[in-house]
Amino acid sequence: MATSENSIVEILDANVNLFLFFSDILGRPVVGADGAPIGKIADLKVKLGELFPRVSSLAVRKRRQKGLWELDWQQVQDLNSNAVSLRAGAEQGFRPLEVKNDEILLRDELLDKQVVDTFGAKIERVNDIHLLIVKQDLRLVHIDYGIRGIIRRLGWLRALDAATNWLFAYQIGEKMISWKFIQPLLSGLVRGSLKLNVTSRKIHEIHPSDLADIIEELDTLNRSSVFRALDLQTAAQTLEEVEDPKLQVALIESAPADRASDILEEMAPDEATDLLADLPEEKAQRLMRTMEKPSREVIEGLLQFKEGTAGSLMTTDFFAVGKDRTIGEAIEEFRKTTYPLESVAYIYVTDKDGRLVGVSTLRHLVICERDIPLRKLMNPHLISVTPEEDADIVKDLFKKYKFLALPVVDEERRLTGIITLKDIMQERFEE
Amino acid sequence: MADGILNAEPVRKRSRWKGLLLFLAVAGPGIITSNVDNDAGGIATYSMAGAHFGTNLLWSLIPIMVALIIIQEMSARMGVVTGKGLSDLIRERFGVKITVSLLFALILTNFGNVIAEFAGVASSLEIFHVPKYVSVPLAAAVVWLIVVKGNYRSVEKIFLWACVFYVTYIVAGFLAKPDWTAVGHTLIAPSFKMSSESLGMIIGLVGTTIAPWMQFYLQAAVVEKNIALKDYKHCRLDVIVGSFVVTIVAGFIVLTCAATLFKTGIRVETAADAALALAPLAGKYCSALFAFGLLNASLFAASILPLSTAFVVCEGMGWEAGVNKKFSEAPQFYGLYSVLIFFGAAIILIPGIPLFPVMYISQVLNGLLLPVILVFMLLLINNKKLMGAYTGKRAYNVISWTTVGVLVVLSVVYLGSLLGI
Repeated sequence: MATSENSIVEILDANVNLFLFFSDILGRPVVGADGAPIGKIADLKVKLGELFPRVSSLAVRKRRQKGLWELDWQQVQDLNSNAVSLRAGAEQGFRPLEVKNDEILLRDELLDKQVVDTFGAKIERVNDIHLLIVKQDLRLVHIDYGIRGIIRRLGWLRALDAATNWLFAYQIGEKMISWKFIQPLLSGLVRGSLKLNVTSRKIHEIHPSDLADIIEELDTLNRSSVFRALDLQTAAQTLEEVEDPKLQVALIESAPADRASDILEEMAPDEATDLLADLPEEKAQRLMRTMEKPSREVIEGLLQFKEGTAGSLMTTDFFAVGKDRTIGEAIEEFRKTTYPLESVAYIYVTDKDGRLVGVSTLRHLVICERDIPLRKLMNPHLISVTPEEDADIVKDLFKKYKFLALPVVDEERRLTGIITLKDIMQERFEE
Repeated sequence: MADGILNAEPVRKRSRWKGLLLFLAVAGPGIITSNVDNDAGGIATYSMAGAHFGTNLLWSLIPIMVALIIIQEMSARMGVVTGKGLSDLIRERFGVKITVSLLFALILTNFGNVIAEFAGVASSLEIFHVPKYVSVPLAAAVVWLIVVKGNYRSVEKIFLWACVFYVTYIVAGFLAKPDWTAVGHTLIAPSFKMSSESLGMIIGLVGTTIAPWMQFYLQAAVVEKNIALKDYKHCRLDVIVGSFVVTIVAGFIVLTCAATLFKTGIRVETAADAALALAPLAGKYCSALFAFGLLNASLFAASILPLSTAFVVCEGMGWEAGVNKKFSEAPQFYGLYSVLIFFGAAIILIPGIPLFPVMYISQVLNGLLLPVILVFMLLLINNKKLMGAYTGKRAYNVISWTTVGVLVVLSVVYLGSLLGI
């Protein structure tokens, strides 16, 4: 890098305040080393990747020339408040502006746009961008999402501060989020993929419920690009949490077919079934055909139950053990269960024909002696429903007995699924 | 495979409290927007057109309808393609300064409109002998509570009924026994005899039918509805039907006044004047229907205008918005919404308040704002980066630029006439 110590001092001197706002730089005149006017700053380009990424080049609108011209940031000699002056000979470095996939234009793609705050799990609008001068570099450090940012850009900040100080002896505070928590979104149709803020807290570390809220609030394009950026499991959980079935359908339809069926496999079977039932039939059939056989069979089974019956509410993810097995064996089996169980509150006990004969709890497994067979400590008095039972009656049962889960048995009392409190709560909240 | 199940209608309703706009969208954003458009100010203008010019200006409603369809189609298309509201797009594209000034102007014009709606409530209920000191606070409280405390389904029912009640104007039109042959004649062979007075009236009709807030509201409603691109044609149909309905209702208002007030040479300035004047001419039922229609329209618009204003402003500024949020979560949203309703109603209650200047300023701002917003809309809808393949086709662009051009000229002329230049 050709920057001498001298110029760093110059930059520091010119800006006693090391922080500066993007809106302050935007539109500043650009002059050559000899002071001849060249143009105005139209944008800054930042290369993503570092925790606080560096401004790599500036985009200049040159006088009497069309389009934007790019120049490396190293060519900036001095950033004083009236003009940006370039090094001698810098003008040869101008080239038409070009943005690569790991780069972002602050004005075109960030300022005034929506971003995801992955720390607060919220969407904010960028009112200004906070930059920091570190050595010879300009680094992107904060996003300003407060009213101060708007007022500053309107040029009313001093008036506002004077007014609030005089009236209330108070000053409206800055509202900033560190860049490391910011996930920028794409700005238009041109680029289909999300520019992931790679060094940041990853977007799928946000809780799926919050992700679902964020996705519901975003517009169509950003919505599907955020959804595409999620790994399968997060995508499946997020999809479960999205409450508008129309939106669920739109999201799953926006995903490529093989990914869509993978996501459906990851979802709880009852949720996946509900979603498939909302899809156009042809599409649903096609997705089911590409699913793995076990998942497909479960969903095909669940699809046969009418809406508003116990069968439509139930999931087939439950944990059942034969009644002659010992506690130790049950624990072993529990350990081997790989699929995510929706409810582990109850351990269901079945006879050799799969008929439900009793229920035990996880607590029993943990505290009892390992060699006791389950039939000795199970509770044989249990309440169950058939898949054809009316959903309202199921709700009443939950209300009355405060169950965490309710087993569903067929006419021969074979355990076919369970209904969890979560499923019921979802039903109730949606009413 | 359980074919029957996949075909089965999903019985479980899973709609959520996601903005009042969402439920409105279910009934059709285009239809609702158009119906709100026939508000107190609109009814007054149509009444005046009928009372002062008879059926002579009836033809002008048809080109106005075409312009309305063209403008609204752009809003709907932008909403479907980008999934963003108009204030959002303007903010992202044109920056903070322009957005803040536009929103400021929008708040002022909409505030003027809200006052007009409460004036409509007051004057229509005065016909039924309810003093305004009772009717206006009650109306404001009802409107405020509907949104803040209302249950979604009950609100939906209320608003759908509000749309149905516009039928009263059609019934009133038949009760007034218009001369149908004359109506047919003016529509088939319109007379373009232009006086400065009739030109002024036409400009007034355009101004009241195509208002700035509609563009924001319609686009927001379309976005809330999450309409998929492949369903866009339904959305467009909704816009066309809505514009058609608004024209039919407007036409019947003109007819009613033409058949009665114009014949006897009675001049009116407000919709309530017209309702009162109708009683001796067309019978008390016709008069009552007219007044009831005005009450319905005013209440309907008084509910939607403050809500849509609060939504649009919060969207542009990046503040939380939505009736499903608590006051502490969305203070700006509720604050603005409440202030618009509270002051809108309070101004009407000031004894001896001259309403004309308020309406006048609001109309002037409307006229100033409309051309600006239309130009922004055209710039946005032709932005490839934003609209991709859904920018306007060339022929269509010629039509829309021409329409906007004509509207801009008319707004400027209208503005000039308002300011007495």
